[in-house]
Amino acid sequence: MNYLSIKKSIKQYAMTITLIAITLLFEFLTKGVLLSPQNITNLIMQNSCILLLSIGMMLCILTGGNIDLSVGSVLAFVGAINGKLIITKEMPIHFVISLVIFLGFLIGAWQGFWIAYVRIPSFIVTLSGMLIFRGLAVLTLKGMTLTPFPNIFQEISGGFVFNFLKIKYKTQFVTYTFALILTIIYICLQVLKRNKKERRDNIYLFLIKNVFVCIVIFLCVTPFANFKGIPIILIILGIITLFYSFVTQKTIYGRYVYAVGGNEKAAKCSGIDTNKVLFYVYVNMSVLAAIAGIVFSSRTNSASPQAGINFELDAVTSCYIGGASASGGIGTIMGAIIGGTVMGVLNNGMSIMGIASDVQMTIKGIALITAVAFDVISKNSKVIRNVV
Amino acid sequence: MKKLLIFFVSLSFVFPMCGCGKKDTPDKWTIGISMPNKALERWNKDGEYLKKKLTDSGYSTILQYPAGDANTQINQIEDMEAKGAKVIVIAAVDTKSLANVLNKAKTQNITVIAYDRLITDTEDVDFFVTFNNKEVGVMQAKFVEKKLGLREKKGPFNIEFIAGDQADENAHSFYNGAMSVLKEYIDSGKLIVPSGQIAFEKVVTPGWETAKAQSRMDNIIVANYLGQKKLDAVLATSDCLSLGVINALKTADIIKNLETNSENILLNPIITGQDCDKANVASIVKGEQSMSVFKDTRKLGDKVKDIIDSLYEGKEIEINGEEKFNNGAKDVTTYFFEPVCIEKDNLVKELIESGYYKKEECNW
Repeated sequence: MNYLSIKKSIKQYAMTITLIAITLLFEFLTKGVLLSPQNITNLIMQNSCILLLSIGMMLCILTGGNIDLSVGSVLAFVGAINGKLIITKEMPIHFVISLVIFLGFLIGAWQGFWIAYVRIPSFIVTLSGMLIFRGLAVLTLKGMTLTPFPNIFQEISGGFVFNFLKIKYKTQFVTYTFALILTIIYICLQVLKRNKKERRDNIYLFLIKNVFVCIVIFLCVTPFANFKGIPIILIILGIITLFYSFVTQKTIYGRYVYAVGGNEKAAKCSGIDTNKVLFYVYVNMSVLAAIAGIVFSSRTNSASPQAGINFELDAVTSCYIGGASASGGIGTIMGAIIGGTVMGVLNNGMSIMGIASDVQMTIKGIALITAVAFDVISKNSKVIRNVV
Repeated sequence: MKKLLIFFVSLSFVFPMCGCGKKDTPDKWTIGISMPNKALERWNKDGEYLKKKLTDSGYSTILQYPAGDANTQINQIEDMEAKGAKVIVIAAVDTKSLANVLNKAKTQNITVIAYDRLITDTEDVDFFVTFNNKEVGVMQAKFVEKKLGLREKKGPFNIEFIAGDQADENAHSFYNGAMSVLKEYIDSGKLIVPSGQIAFEKVVTPGWETAKAQSRMDNIIVANYLGQKKLDAVLATSDCLSLGVINALKTADIIKNLETNSENILLNPIITGQDCDKANVASIVKGEQSMSVFKDTRKLGDKVKDIIDSLYEGKEIEINGEEKFNNGAKDVTTYFFEPVCIEKDNLVKELIESGYYKKEECNW
């Protein structure tokens, strides 16, 4: 029993352990640059788009190993419309942002309709979406790169919360206060949860666990405290991650997604409206692609028809490295985030070391096959043991 | 029923398209224009200019973009041959893959003009119209040399390099050109590359992507310039790369906000570029980017039209500025144009007054 549960948790945390190992390896290889405050901020800014996309992609993969090939193009198209309205037409930023997120919703509804209700394979629908929206992006921009965005728009990906809110205290003070508030909220939630339970676990274990989490939170904010504070994009990313983790783990809709991915026929027989589940998964994906489009425009400070090329594949890679199963039904949002971070650290670390880009590509390919092979082999060996 | 429906739906798409290309007046010749990629500002402008120039003087044109795909370009060139083009102007996606399709063109007596990129390993190219691409890198490097005062033995200075896509022949030329000037200073220690990334395969940017150049610059700064070290120059070989460099330097506070303090212009690192994209023109005006190599692509278009006119009228072709350029199979008659170095001082004269851009287009 105990042996099994240890084994289970090792498997569960395998990717986290890998992430820590890779981080430490590159910290050593780059002589301490990787975990320097400014680089951690860079890491987040460089990978925010892919992380946003991989959250949505994880939902697609969960529903049966489907992937959405159109996200890179949707990102470019939304970025193009966004740039056109803000830079050329000089419309107010808040309005444009809500408008293009709604545009993402419409694009998702278009693709979701064909996939969920007409039952055209998602591969084909999103392949066509990839062509349609790349074409529309080039058409909208007439092949030109639009720039520059107003400063306030650039803040989305490059700004820092406390600068933005014009708080005058020292960065370190504000950041640690922020961390303190976070930990207090966390502990309150934990205590409430514990009080609700009938069989409470050991009080010491509970205390140790909470103290540990608090230490981790403080360790995590330290780099930001020593640089310019917490990046705005980290807050956006954090909220979206928590929201989707909550939806997939704690809500009925989330269970439906897993159920459809596990066995669609069975799900349908037990009364789940599988069409609706599928529909909203793709709506979600495009909305997230729209948000990623805004973030990407903000980061490169331009709207380019070539934005987001191959992003769909990066997002898929993140999900599979993060433990998603190609046949659907297995995987978590946190997994996607961890997978994306593993790729981000690999990219960043190798780039700091000055490894040539062709070699980088090869190494990333090897990382992908290794991660998935580990997953598949460990599953197969379990099957074999059960049979024996 | 279903098939009928599909038939009608596709018809309804095809019909409006038929209308577009038709004209009532009989044309001189049909000219095929094949440009590499509609998603890049440069080729859009080139294609449209050439098309307008030729239609204005009575030729009918077929302008097509193969979206950066070499195989699609071959198909499109075959279509142009089938539609009876007398001259085909090609800016090749892959300069090595066109030998077969051009061979077919030759049997139909079609004249082939290589536009900006030399089509190699075939005898069936008639003319080559281009800018001196090796000169581009040399100009960028000489600009750095001049601004830093390297010839006057000043230094040492810190410099970083950002080059284009490894698979693009031009990216090699640009970088080699720059290195031909700067290598002696690197060897003598007057120029230092703190990241140590000097070899071509280490400074490349896959797909010429702005975001990739930006990330790489981010990482170079974090690893090398956090202490007292000052970044003096970034030699970026093209404007799309410079844009990423500028973004990275802004994030790291190396480029200061110029609206508040104009003196900072002098403190900003030198950043080079090429093509004078609109976005970068605005950056040069703001003092973020120091220079851009300008290739007035209208000159290429004008020359192409001259060649076609002469062919049509059966005249001798003017041999002004003509040279031979070997493409591996023969010496191709080549027309070279020299690029111009654009700085803040001569920007208005070269770009706006020459009519290349309208001032309001550039958002500054």
